[in-house]
Amino acid sequence: MLSQGTKILKYDDLVIGEQLGSFEYVLTQEMLDDFREAVEDPEAPFPTLAVKHDASALNMVYKDTTGGVNAGNEVEFFNPPIPGKKITVSGRVADKYVRRDKPYLVIEATATDEDGRLLERLRTYQMKKPDEVGKKWHPQA
Amino acid sequence: MASTSIEIDQEIPSVTKSITKKSIDQFEGVGILERENIHNSPELAQRQLGTDYVLASGRMSVTFAAESLRKFFGPDVFNHSGTVNLKFLRPVKDGDSITVTGKVVHQEPVEKGTLVSVDLVCENQNQDTTAVGQGTAIVP
Repeated sequence: MLSQGTKILKYDDLVIGEQLGSFEYVLTQEMLDDFREAVEDPEAPFPTLAVKHDASALNMVYKDTTGGVNAGNEVEFFNPPIPGKKITVSGRVADKYVRRDKPYLVIEATATDEDGRLLERLRTYQMKKPDEVGKKWHPQA
Repeated sequence: MASTSIEIDQEIPSVTKSITKKSIDQFEGVGILERENIHNSPELAQRQLGTDYVLASGRMSVTFAAESLRKFFGPDVFNHSGTVNLKFLRPVKDGDSITVTGKVVHQEPVEKGTLVSVDLVCENQNQDTTAVGQGTAIVP
């Protein structure tokens, strides 16, 4: 397991294009098996989705005390990862913007394996006012 | 110009998935970062969202949508040229059942074949829409 970053995340200080954590790990057969069982799909090829490369890259650098809600994901699949191979991930701040008075952070990560195969590019749209979403889901609260 | 046997309005295979505490935990357990989040900590979910339950990761719905698209396009196509773009509208939690459906909405020739676009909808057991979006693949 990797450790969480210690720098406090301040939305206003984040810079579009800013590089986030870059890290390597070995995808194990156990990770693939657990992923496939969790999603009830014995042929699911991208356990990297559950590794959450972009969020991991963000959280390796920053300690996020605000939290956020995943408002959306965009993923591009290039090649399924192979168990036993080392995967290299690099992350960045792809965008940030305010919509309807809510701040959004877009993080992105690209993964390649030890043979240089491009595996996946993942973007997550995080809404950084999670309590607002809670109010929407539970308006009586 | 490249063409396919795929037709506009053609439906992709739907998939239905049961969301359980175990499946949420197992999905989170694949991660490599030791960190509490709203998917594995009821206390954090309560504090940040005011919910009395943890949420299933939106990436689980992405995976379900990818399965539907893979079954439609075939793994040789989808696993090497596929995309999924989902916007999450409602929380998904333990006890929910999520069904992904989709329909082909567009085709256009591109350098490596035909880019086929599919509109996607994820619904829970109450027919509430939990996510919408689009998937694509390039059919040679």
